[in-house]
Amino acid sequence: MNTKRLFINVKPGKTFLDRLTGKTKVRLFLILILLLIQTWDIRLILPLLLLFITALISLKPDWKKVWGVLGFIILVNLFNLFLMWLVEPDYGLGVVGGSTVLARLSRFYIITAETMWYFFVRFTKFMATFILSLVFISSITPSEMAAGLYSIKIPYKICTIVSLAFRYIPDITRDFHNIKISIQARGMELDSKKTGLITRLKQNVLILAPLIITSFDRVGNIANAMDLRGFGKGKKRTYYSEHEDTDGDRILRPVILILVVVFVVFVVRGFIHPPVYQVWCPWIS
Amino acid sequence: MLMNEAHEGDIVRHTHDTTEEGDMIMSEKKKQSVGSLLVGKWDTKTVVGIAIGAALFGVLMNFGGIRIFTNTSLTTAMIVDVIVGALFGPLPAAVAAFFGNVISDLIGGWGFWFDWSIGNAVLAFFVGLLPLYGAKINDGVFTTKQAVIYAVTVIVGNLIAFGVVTPLLTYLFYSQELTITWGQAWAAVIGNASVQIIIGIPLLFLLAKRNARSTNLSQED
Repeated sequence: MNTKRLFINVKPGKTFLDRLTGKTKVRLFLILILLLIQTWDIRLILPLLLLFITALISLKPDWKKVWGVLGFIILVNLFNLFLMWLVEPDYGLGVVGGSTVLARLSRFYIITAETMWYFFVRFTKFMATFILSLVFISSITPSEMAAGLYSIKIPYKICTIVSLAFRYIPDITRDFHNIKISIQARGMELDSKKTGLITRLKQNVLILAPLIITSFDRVGNIANAMDLRGFGKGKKRTYYSEHEDTDGDRILRPVILILVVVFVVFVVRGFIHPPVYQVWCPWIS
Repeated sequence: MLMNEAHEGDIVRHTHDTTEEGDMIMSEKKKQSVGSLLVGKWDTKTVVGIAIGAALFGVLMNFGGIRIFTNTSLTTAMIVDVIVGALFGPLPAAVAAFFGNVISDLIGGWGFWFDWSIGNAVLAFFVGLLPLYGAKINDGVFTTKQAVIYAVTVIVGNLIAFGVVTPLLTYLFYSQELTITWGQAWAAVIGNASVQIIIGIPLLFLLAKRNARSTNLSQED
């Protein structure tokens, strides 16, 4: 975990995805995320995952950074799954609809094929979600994001909040690490392996006070700069970063429409014929 | 805000303890309708404040936490609710928490959980009710009585947000079995409430003290 974990760009890049308008990027991202949230069907998730990996490759990212982040996320997700298993080893019974015992560790702790299948689907789903987020963050600039959100009729003050928040995440992360390092330089142990829970909590609080003060001290400056440029005077606004549609935008517009239709069909079908079990499994049904 | 007012405050400091003036301003402030207190004043400062709050929430959620349960951690991000609520009001706090949570989901890689984002927004709304019971952190007003009310709203807010709203939405959005959600919900209620009370109350007193010098000045728009 270092400051390079975050991928937020300020300058647009040159690849196909980078050159799209903010409008297309935001719409495509939103519909794909909605689709991924509502589905538990591996037949949809797996192709999407492959598509997102292709997209990530097409962006020519810094692979060293990407692997660093991916490794961390994979570990966190696996750990989460392990905790879920600890709480309810027979989770698959409720969502997949079966309980084929593969191994029995004790009366309560069993390993079933269905639970493992569910964990596999869940893992794939979250990896797909994460890679999609990664592609989205690395291909968009904060200002394009504001323009994209504005294009789906979100009030521009909200758009500004989102883009400003994105703009300041790298700065705040840097401050966080600087404060942490300066606290360590004064002889405080922050390594999670060497200190207990209570001490670590106390240290997090110690970082908090200077972080809050430095972060909120910025507010006056930024607000004044924005006021000087007339922010909030008009009812509407336009965005400098929003350029004319490229060929890619024209191709993707019908794709987005189709995805919206697919999403609506899925949701409506889910309401009319709710599936007995949430997760599709090749050896059941 | 946190700064600037101090300069003017220094000049007229000798009238600091005049209670009459203080009371007058208090009653003037009370005339603001409940509705406008709930919504907050959406000027440029508020917009920037919410944005910084959301960014801070995202960063703290990712770096400033200690994991206690699946996807649940004892995180100092919850303090953002308190600060934004104290400075700008309940709705700005809710917006900051919502976008903060969405952003932290985006960079955190544990998937998108809009049920939790909405839960956090509801919680922040309750936590941000501070101006409604007279706690004016900007003007340095925060009494022990208000601290008690604050503690109660924090607990009620947490119970409503994660005990009612989030499980309901989880069921609606994901039609997921609720066993794990309940575990997460209880961990979140206990963790958040303790962070917001144990760290939040001293922090509010500190901020109020920092701004106390300007009690006898009112800001002109």
